[in-house]
Amino acid sequence: MISNGAEIGKLTLLSLVWLTIVFTAVWMATWAVGILLPMLLQNGLGERAMLINEILRFVTPVVSILVFIPINAMFMVLIERRALALFTVRKGPNIVGPDGYLQTAADAVKLLFKEDITPIGADAVMFTLAPIVFFAPSIFGAVPLLAAVTNNHALFQVLNLPTGIFYVLAAASVPVVALVMAGWSSNNKYSLVGGLRSAAQAISYEIPLVLSIITICVLAGTLDLVKITEQQAGGILNWNLLGGGALSGIDKYLAAMISGQPVGSILQASYPFSALSAVATGALICCTIISFWLYLTGACAEINRIPFDLPEAESELVSGYNTEYSGIKFAIFFLAEFTNLFVVSSIATVMFLGGGDNPIPVWILDKLPLVPQLVQALRDSFLVQTLHLINPETLFSTLWVILKVYSLVFFAILIRGTLPRFRIDQLMDFGWKRLIPLSLIVFVIVVFARGLVNCHG
Amino acid sequence: MANLLARAFHGLNQVRRGLATVFGHSFREPITKEYPQIVPDITTNFRGRLALTVNPETGDHLCISCRQCERVCPDKCIEITSAKSAETGKLELIDFKIDHGLCMFCGLCTEVCPTYCIINTNDFELSEYAREDLIYDLKKLTLSQDESAFYFERKEMPIPKPKPAKAAPAAGAAAAAKPAAAAGAAAPAAASAAAPAAAGASAAKAEAPKAEEKKEEKKEEPKAEAPKAEEKKEEKKEEPKAEAPKAEEKKEEKKEEPKADSPAAEEKKD
Amino acid sequence: MATELVKTEDFRSDDLRTDDLRTDEMIINMGPQHPATHGVLRLILTLDGEKVKHVEPILGHLHRAQEWQGQNRTWFQYQALIDRVDYLSGMFTSWAMARSCEQLDGITVPPRAEYLRVMVAEMNRISSHLLWLGTYLIDLGAMFGFPFYPFREREKLLDLFEEISGQRMMFNYIRIGGVHRDPKAEWFQKVRKFTEEFPQRVDEYEAIVTENPIFLKRTKGVGILKQSVAKDYGVTGPCIRCSGIPLDLRRTKPYSVYPELKFDVITYDKEGDTWDRYMARILEMRQSNEIIKQCLDMIPAGEIMGKKQMAGMRIKAGEGFAAVESPRGIIGCYVTSTGGEKPFRFRWRNPSFCNLSVLSELLVGSPIADIMAIFGSIDVILPDVDR
Repeated sequence: MISNGAEIGKLTLLSLVWLTIVFTAVWMATWAVGILLPMLLQNGLGERAMLINEILRFVTPVVSILVFIPINAMFMVLIERRALALFTVRKGPNIVGPDGYLQTAADAVKLLFKEDITPIGADAVMFTLAPIVFFAPSIFGAVPLLAAVTNNHALFQVLNLPTGIFYVLAAASVPVVALVMAGWSSNNKYSLVGGLRSAAQAISYEIPLVLSIITICVLAGTLDLVKITEQQAGGILNWNLLGGGALSGIDKYLAAMISGQPVGSILQASYPFSALSAVATGALICCTIISFWLYLTGACAEINRIPFDLPEAESELVSGYNTEYSGIKFAIFFLAEFTNLFVVSSIATVMFLGGGDNPIPVWILDKLPLVPQLVQALRDSFLVQTLHLINPETLFSTLWVILKVYSLVFFAILIRGTLPRFRIDQLMDFGWKRLIPLSLIVFVIVVFARGLVNCHG
Repeated sequence: MANLLARAFHGLNQVRRGLATVFGHSFREPITKEYPQIVPDITTNFRGRLALTVNPETGDHLCISCRQCERVCPDKCIEITSAKSAETGKLELIDFKIDHGLCMFCGLCTEVCPTYCIINTNDFELSEYAREDLIYDLKKLTLSQDESAFYFERKEMPIPKPKPAKAAPAAGAAAAAKPAAAAGAAAPAAASAAAPAAAGASAAKAEAPKAEEKKEEKKEEPKAEAPKAEEKKEEKKEEPKAEAPKAEEKKEEKKEEPKADSPAAEEKKD
Repeated sequence: MATELVKTEDFRSDDLRTDDLRTDEMIINMGPQHPATHGVLRLILTLDGEKVKHVEPILGHLHRAQEWQGQNRTWFQYQALIDRVDYLSGMFTSWAMARSCEQLDGITVPPRAEYLRVMVAEMNRISSHLLWLGTYLIDLGAMFGFPFYPFREREKLLDLFEEISGQRMMFNYIRIGGVHRDPKAEWFQKVRKFTEEFPQRVDEYEAIVTENPIFLKRTKGVGILKQSVAKDYGVTGPCIRCSGIPLDLRRTKPYSVYPELKFDVITYDKEGDTWDRYMARILEMRQSNEIIKQCLDMIPAGEIMGKKQMAGMRIKAGEGFAAVESPRGIIGCYVTSTGGEKPFRFRWRNPSFCNLSVLSELLVGSPIADIMAIFGSIDVILPDVDR
């Protein structure tokens, strides 16, 4: 049945190699700035070391993000093209470098060296500013996510905010301004229409997006991303995707039963109103799953992916707001688009899919052979003890995050390969008449149901 | 409300079905043909670059300058230059030009050609840096003997009889018989060096008293080019040789040279 | 353009004080280089917000004087040119010309040639509809995945065409008096293999597209072509059949061997909207596949040329007209001969031109995004419009 094993194998290998490159590079840069440099400075500088350490502490997360974004975007473009090729029974880029690994790197170089054109009649300042305003939020907006996805690593704690998710969402809505700027300043009617569309679209789809996130925040009782992640630790039953902690009681009950401890009043504590609680638990699970779907839909619209890519609808508006862009400015738009895709997938991972938590419950994981020994062996090794190169918790958490985020990205690619585009009025209808009422209903149900069950919050 | 829910579920289910179908495609063999590395298998009748064949057995040029192709070409991209030989009273081909930049590859010229001379090859890689390079002349158009044999076989065209046989049956029979004997003598001379062969050619020209001026001009060219490229000269020489059926021994010798050299020329081309 | 939208001299501070906000119409020039105009159509649109208020199609960017060329070429030469009028269904233009000349000259086409003609024509219909399907989904925005599937099948058909005619699109296969080449037995086997697996492929397309809610939203109730409008403008082909008029020359005015074949006229007239036109084409592909299957079973042995064609052929003096049902509608060929080597006059009736003329009726009042949904559903080939 599978007659395409070779291509699938190639794609898998490509992903593994590229992901290794991406995350090794990021971690090496972070480690060099955050750990190695202070260690070296400790010996040399003495008095002034404190100040420099303090500066480096703040610089480290930014450095990691700055290293991460370009390399990751290159990888994402490549995997998008290869995956789409897989869906359309083609081979995709496989010439440049070994099996096409360097295709996007070559594209990036090409874009950087292309002539940077500002059309006559364009508002030059706005025209130049637009890509920057578009790109900047994806840098500073993603910073609070770092601590959440690395299991609260010491290097990234400094930029964790108590109102993390609020800040991330606020940053994510800035790029809309850039699209309007780009559309207006291009001196092109198609671009103008594209820019205005993007404004209308972003405003209407931010509401269901934010409402679905608020639903989760209500369940979690906090806006802190790290806390939300920590609450979900301990297997798939604790994830916000499945009721936001409504199943934690069952999880605890099973754990106690398997380890032979007295189960006693665990269930009673979690579900105080027996039958009513059971109903509430079911409702919560439904609501969180719907919330997840609402989030994905809203996020798709927010980052202008098919089927919501109206601002740059190629067949209608030529290429929308970025029609007139070329060279490095276009590259920045391109970069930011893929970074945004990664960021929204990361938010989904943190908010719904338990962040860096592995889906297997602890009471099964402990029974598995070799796992605890391997972790212990890693912890005792030279790399961890002396150089502080790897923190096992961070490593595993990051691996799970990568897996989850790229699964979502892969799903987005699959959607891109299948669905046609909405029409602008239908998009508005769908947003205002379907998604917003639905998200409000879900929100209200969650508010009432969480009183009947013991949730994370 | 129930209706709305039912519609929503139906819609989602259809989207799921579409996604599943698209995802299912990823388990199929790709249909990509990696073109520059793997040249596609082109069908026999493909109408590619135009070319002129030679008789695959004797190496005679098959064009009889009837100008049918020139007349039928809708784009007027064929240009034939020929002159009437005073010697035989027959048309002799001097030059044959096809502008491939103008040609629309309709293949009408190949349909009207009475001798299967002009054919569509399977070659489709015609890109050049200048438009002038797309105008192919006789030298560029004429296929080698082996290539002609390949296309005659592939297109299932009847292999023509040797030309001298058509003109004068007796002489043709003699000519057909002699090459085998003369080959042994001529081949070493031709193979040893380019210069002796050129000398032989000039000698042949001098001893052909009835040769026309135009023909002489034509012969000058190969002689001049001889040191540079042997194969070119050989192709040029075919023309006078074929169109002078009353040739003497010297002519015989000349006939051998292309025969002996053509495999080498083939290899060079390949 | 920003500067044009708000003219500074019109925009005085007094206007700001008035209660009603002044709005302006925007004139957008769509094409001829627009990615979705399928060639070189130019539309001058007057927009009110995103609604179209007025459309002015401007034609002639691809005018190649095909009719005039007919008067300056011999019969034999003109045949090779005529595939280029509608490059996606070259068989049909050749067929129309061949039929009109045969009618004039009184040539009877041998049955084998007629069957071959029907076969290649129906294959061409499938390939044309497949291309339409792919590009239509691109128009609707599904531009990264789906369009590759129909093109994959079309590629197989083009390979088959290449085998018999020598080229993939400019066939020059149907000639006055018959067809050019008798295919080998393997070719028929390949065609049979294609017809066997093709219905499954159509099922796959339908699984992805037909019931997709976004696709339904984009096409249902959009660009409704009323029966009277369709009649007024002389619309033909699937477009008019979707408006409820069973006009299919293969049945209404049968030619060739169509009377011997079993098939029905497809009239998919639920509303006459773009979705119906999509569905009709899908059904037509399946139907053509069935026709090819029947032809494969019924094709007799024998000659393929009624009268040997020569370069200097002449057609008897007189006038002839013949029409065939192409994927886009009725292709009519009117020819006048004076008995010479060259035709006296050719006149073509092209379906795309008549179908395109209805565009300005359909577009007014619809948003920008629907322009492509409607224009694409009419299935226009610009060289066929401009000739």
